[in-house]
Amino acid sequence: MNGIPKANTGSVERLVKASQTGDRGSFDELVGLYQRRAMQVAVRMLGDADEAAEAVQNGFVKAYLNIDRLREPKRFEAWFFRIIANAAISQRKAVRAGTEKIKISGDCESKKVISPEQKEVGKELKEAIRMAMLKLSKKQAQAIVLFGIEDLPQDEVAKIMGCSAEAVRWHVFKARQKLRVLLKDFLE
Amino acid sequence: MKKEKEQIDLLLRQNESEQLAGLNWNRLQISISKRLNQADRNKISMMSYRGVFKMTAGIVAAAAVVFIAVMIKTYMPTTVRFENGPKEIGTFVVSKDSAKVKILDSNQQGNQGKGRPSWIIIRTSEPKVADNGKNRDEDDFACLM
Repeated sequence: MNGIPKANTGSVERLVKASQTGDRGSFDELVGLYQRRAMQVAVRMLGDADEAAEAVQNGFVKAYLNIDRLREPKRFEAWFFRIIANAAISQRKAVRAGTEKIKISGDCESKKVISPEQKEVGKELKEAIRMAMLKLSKKQAQAIVLFGIEDLPQDEVAKIMGCSAEAVRWHVFKARQKLRVLLKDFLE
Repeated sequence: MKKEKEQIDLLLRQNESEQLAGLNWNRLQISISKRLNQADRNKISMMSYRGVFKMTAGIVAAAAVVFIAVMIKTYMPTTVRFENGPKEIGTFVVSKDSAKVKILDSNQQGNQGKGRPSWIIIRTSEPKVADNGKNRDEDDFACLM
């Protein structure tokens, strides 16, 4: 998974239990363990590092304030990624509301011919992905991020999204279908 | 189809790598830590606010209970020992403009021997019609009774 090591389940459980008793140091350790994966999820959903960082910070605060409600500490990961995904979705709403004009210009941009040089990963791709992800529905964005790219088990993704594995696969299929159209200039 | 699917995943992954490449992880962790500190402070102030709120609510509730108790006691009939035996006396409302009148007995214990006459307390204003109306005498009589 892109060289980012997964956290040891046993130690995570211990840290979660300690955090539930109010041990702030343990929660800080969880932040250290999960901030990269949280950023991955948020960046994939939002397409922009700054917006993703905002969503991740909000997600960590929400997790911190609600960790005592987590009944099964061993299921922290799924619970946490649901929070991060929801935080990213909230951020998406804010971005959508604030970038109506940019969205329109983004539509125009997707129609223009992009030279092979421009197709390189960079500002254009970032902007195109950002706009494309904003055009996906909430479920589609969640599904493609968590199931399509993030290597979480399918049943975990289904639990995170609160639907069946079949429904998740359907959302992934629809998301890819949309992205194929929206990012066609970047596909060979 | 499969190739396109892989390409989409690759594009998303490429963008992610690009976005995260220049990210200062320490700075992010510090930012998260600051936000958590802020959340802690908010939680503490919220808890103290809740404490103050609970205390205020308790005082108001206690005052309400005392008020209700006093009101009930005020309007509850009480037994007074008259010369010819104990009798229940209480507040009653005289009809017409709801003048509330309370009759107290001067002969009850504590007042005996002081030569005070029996007297009444009119708790609200005298009925308007009692000023100069034609029912004045009747109303006064009702009050005195």
